[in-house]
Amino acid sequence: MRARSWFALAARESRGSAGRLVFFAACLSVGVAAVVAVAGLSQALDRGIQAQARQLLAADLAVSSRRPIADVVIAAIDGLPGALRTTVIELPSVVSLPEDANGSGAPGPSLLCELKAVGPGYPFYGSVVTEPARPLAALLDDDRVVVGPELLVRLGASVGDHLRIGTTSYEIAGNITSEPDRLEIGVTLGPRVLLSMAGLERSGLMGLGSRVWHRGLVRLADGSTPAQVEAAAEEVRKAVADPEFVNIETYTEAQPALRTALSRVERFLGMVALLSLLIGGIGVAQAVRAWLAGRLDAIAVLRALGVRPREIFLLYLAQTVVLALVGSVLGAVAGALAAMAVPGFLENLLPVRVEVGWQPAAMARGIALGIGVAVIFGLRPLFDVLKVPPVRVLRRDADPLPVGKAVATTLSVVLAVGVLATATLQSGSLVRGALFAVGLIVATAVLALGAWIVVRLVGRVPREFGGVALRHGLAALARPGSGTLGAVVALGLGVLTVLGMYVIQDRLSAQLEAELPDDAPTVFLIDIQPDQWEGVRSTLVEFDAETVDSVEVVIARLQSINGVPVAELVPEQDEESRDRRWVLTREQRLTSMATLPEDNIIIDGALWSDKSRPEVSVERDFATDLGVAVGDSVVFNVQGVPLELLVSSIRTVEWERFSINFFLVVEPGVLDEAPRYRIATARLAAAAELPVQNQLAASHPNVTMLRIRDLLEKIVTVLEQVGFGVRFLGAFTVLAGIAILAGAISAGAVRRGRQVALYKTLGMTRAQVASVFAVEYALIGLVAGLLGTVGGMVLAIAVIRFGFEIAWAWSPTVYAASVAATVGLSVVAGLAASTRALAVRPLAVLRQGDG
Amino acid sequence: MRETAANSLVLSLKGVGRRLPSGGRMLAILNAIDLDVRRGEFVAVLGPSGSGKSTLLALMAGLDRPSSGEVLFEGERIDAWSEDRLALLRRHKIGFVFQAFQLLGNLTARENVMLPMELLGLSQARRRAEELLGAVGLSERGHHYPSQLSGGEQQRVALARAFSPRPALLLADEPTGNLDGATGRVVLDLLVKMRAEEGATLVLVTHDPAVAELADRRIHLLDGRIEREEAT
Repeated sequence: MRARSWFALAARESRGSAGRLVFFAACLSVGVAAVVAVAGLSQALDRGIQAQARQLLAADLAVSSRRPIADVVIAAIDGLPGALRTTVIELPSVVSLPEDANGSGAPGPSLLCELKAVGPGYPFYGSVVTEPARPLAALLDDDRVVVGPELLVRLGASVGDHLRIGTTSYEIAGNITSEPDRLEIGVTLGPRVLLSMAGLERSGLMGLGSRVWHRGLVRLADGSTPAQVEAAAEEVRKAVADPEFVNIETYTEAQPALRTALSRVERFLGMVALLSLLIGGIGVAQAVRAWLAGRLDAIAVLRALGVRPREIFLLYLAQTVVLALVGSVLGAVAGALAAMAVPGFLENLLPVRVEVGWQPAAMARGIALGIGVAVIFGLRPLFDVLKVPPVRVLRRDADPLPVGKAVATTLSVVLAVGVLATATLQSGSLVRGALFAVGLIVATAVLALGAWIVVRLVGRVPREFGGVALRHGLAALARPGSGTLGAVVALGLGVLTVLGMYVIQDRLSAQLEAELPDDAPTVFLIDIQPDQWEGVRSTLVEFDAETVDSVEVVIARLQSINGVPVAELVPEQDEESRDRRWVLTREQRLTSMATLPEDNIIIDGALWSDKSRPEVSVERDFATDLGVAVGDSVVFNVQGVPLELLVSSIRTVEWERFSINFFLVVEPGVLDEAPRYRIATARLAAAAELPVQNQLAASHPNVTMLRIRDLLEKIVTVLEQVGFGVRFLGAFTVLAGIAILAGAISAGAVRRGRQVALYKTLGMTRAQVASVFAVEYALIGLVAGLLGTVGGMVLAIAVIRFGFEIAWAWSPTVYAASVAATVGLSVVAGLAASTRALAVRPLAVLRQGDG
Repeated sequence: MRETAANSLVLSLKGVGRRLPSGGRMLAILNAIDLDVRRGEFVAVLGPSGSGKSTLLALMAGLDRPSSGEVLFEGERIDAWSEDRLALLRRHKIGFVFQAFQLLGNLTARENVMLPMELLGLSQARRRAEELLGAVGLSERGHHYPSQLSGGEQQRVALARAFSPRPALLLADEPTGNLDGATGRVVLDLLVKMRAEEGATLVLVTHDPAVAELADRRIHLLDGRIEREEAT
């Protein structure tokens, strides 16, 4: 057959199928929309970050470290031709209003803030937008600061008021509307306070804080190419003596850490979206099967006229692809529109401001995935066209042609491999793809088995009780070949996903919001100078603090392990090695203890067991990440002085108790000469926390108090927002399930029409017939809802108990609501899909007879 | 001598039998059928319903396979051919007219007629389709779908479709079975007339002796066997 005739035939053969195949397209477009929305939004964000890379860095090049930028590095920067340099120092601190604010002599209100001192020229790119709208340099000087609007609200202050930072009072000169290099993603400790370098100097906080970030910002000569920027970064890097502790970033890398984090989120959401697409695949398989069932006569005629089986297969495959294309394009458009809408109502969740336009790459990917899924799911039913016997033109009851089992098996393998391939593509990893594919196949198999068992059991239930509607509904559910099994499985998978996600997030939020355990501290105090502890402690005691605990801490850096310098141990900066890089290069906090807290358990070696060498005890997971075991030797750099320690024991810690605990505990006596500061924990009544913070802000302004209740609340807020996003996407899986159910019902419209005609002939009103159908759909929803809810519960229990290792609690109302909602959705979608059948006039159908 | 004989034979059935499963056991539909059809011949197969007429036709077209015996088309044994090869044989050599018309509902009358020619890649498909539709008196109805045509009209389209690729063998299964007497007569006359014009070999299955009267040779089937044979 020539290609032209074949295409003509394919086009003609598809006539009249369009209406029936609306559901085919619907099943696909839901999933494609989800995939495109996720990919489109993330690509837009990624591109937004890249486009704004200079503003987000506020420079071409930035050098950052926990310690002041070394003079040789500064010299190297100053040696770059035409380069401008400035400095930024960031640290958390509690700020307060002056004591006399209310005239009572009590300390003024205080708030934990993120301080940021900026040198002249900051920001090199982008701008700090303030109110009043004046240049930053005009607002900041050594006794004036600008603050985030949240600070004014929380402290009840206004522009012009005075603010105490450290030991000094400053005038609030304005508030910050927008700050180019602040990425508001996740949890921040508190609102921003911008001050000048001289201002920070006056605060008296420098040298007392342990959580300081120093950044050197560099602006290269105008018109520098990316290659020149990279070359400049290389120059600066050469000057750095301890490169593993210094981070050099260029705008051309465009926020690698942020983008890595975003791509993780994208992959997770992408998998949820893929799930709805694959569920749609089940619908495609069903739609193709139903469609071909109506084309058997035509296929037999074509066979009799001499069209070869493979030509017929291709004929229907081509139609499937064309329909998939239509459905996928519709879905891609819907997904792109959804991605455009997101920044409008989820502004707080996005780290940068972006204009989301049409995302051709995301749409192309979605369309390709949609067609791919349609083909891999459609192949198996399409394959049945090979079985149509040509002799059917003469004898309708002719047996199907025997076709090799090998082909059928191959097609099942193709399906499994296809699911694996799409999952690998979406997750960017074969391992994650395989886990997803196996999980999905197992979940589908279990749901299918469950649905099959329920349907079989329903078939055995005696139907003498109940009304006509219930009897009929039960019978319809149990009827062989009713085509609803696939819909039950698909809908069940959707319910499983949404309920599982909801319950997991709900349990996590509940756990975080729950009152802290009785013996757990509620506040952490850091940066207490040794001579301040007495005063801080008495403040805590004054406010009835329980279980006050405190230890001295020495800040150090890891220098070498078993003689190998850290620089050689630090892996290349990629995602897999993130944890290891962090443990090797972080500011290590060392403490000394003669005996360990109760919750520490030695699992290897023995505490302080070697009389000849100074020892360190290492927490188990930290030891694993460091790659050390009992007997190894580690060298720390304590403010420039090397300190060699023998790893003499490995221990476990119950971190959930929020007590003071350390990865590294050093033998007593060893650290006595080192400079140190103190940290403390205490349990305070919720109402006492702010007064204590206010008091400390007045008396010991360099001490930072972290309120655990407050932090947990912030985390819960973010978790709930993320949870909403996940559930929103998860809802697409339910939508796909509903589309499939509607499709299955609509595919049986002719049979249903005949049924309606018969019922009406027997004297049933239209409402009665509708209620008969409603019961049937409610039962389908009930089975799918029960199976999906149980499945989601099992998933959530597994994740909560074994993934997060927190206590499980039942929430029966949620489960009941989940089942009820599924029943409701099924009835509504089912009846909507049956409107045509319900409108049938009895005579019209009965006249047609069997034909 | 042998070659000439083979050339003149379009179809040859040697000891053909066909059994089909029925109610859990195998039922013999056809038994040891020996039958030759020569080029240009008009053969009618007669017999009461259930005598195996349609099964015989299916075997001749390679739509079905014999349980025993051999089916030769133009001297070649086709009963073990692949589905693909049989499809190509039908495409190139065999035309059909069915009792239930079997037009493709999604195609217009003209497209139905063009289809076999398009399968062969013939360039003049549209023109010949118009001629054939003219020949069956449906020049004006080419753009109609089968559901918009009466039974007689549908069968006339089916006739045009059957003749369109100039098949070596035309097989007709009760072509007037679904039509009333007068309409059936019109269709039958057309069939005979077109066969004569196109010079096609025709095997026609019917239970109507009046129809069979038009044939060169009549094969009477009874209970799956050839009961008798008679020539005009």
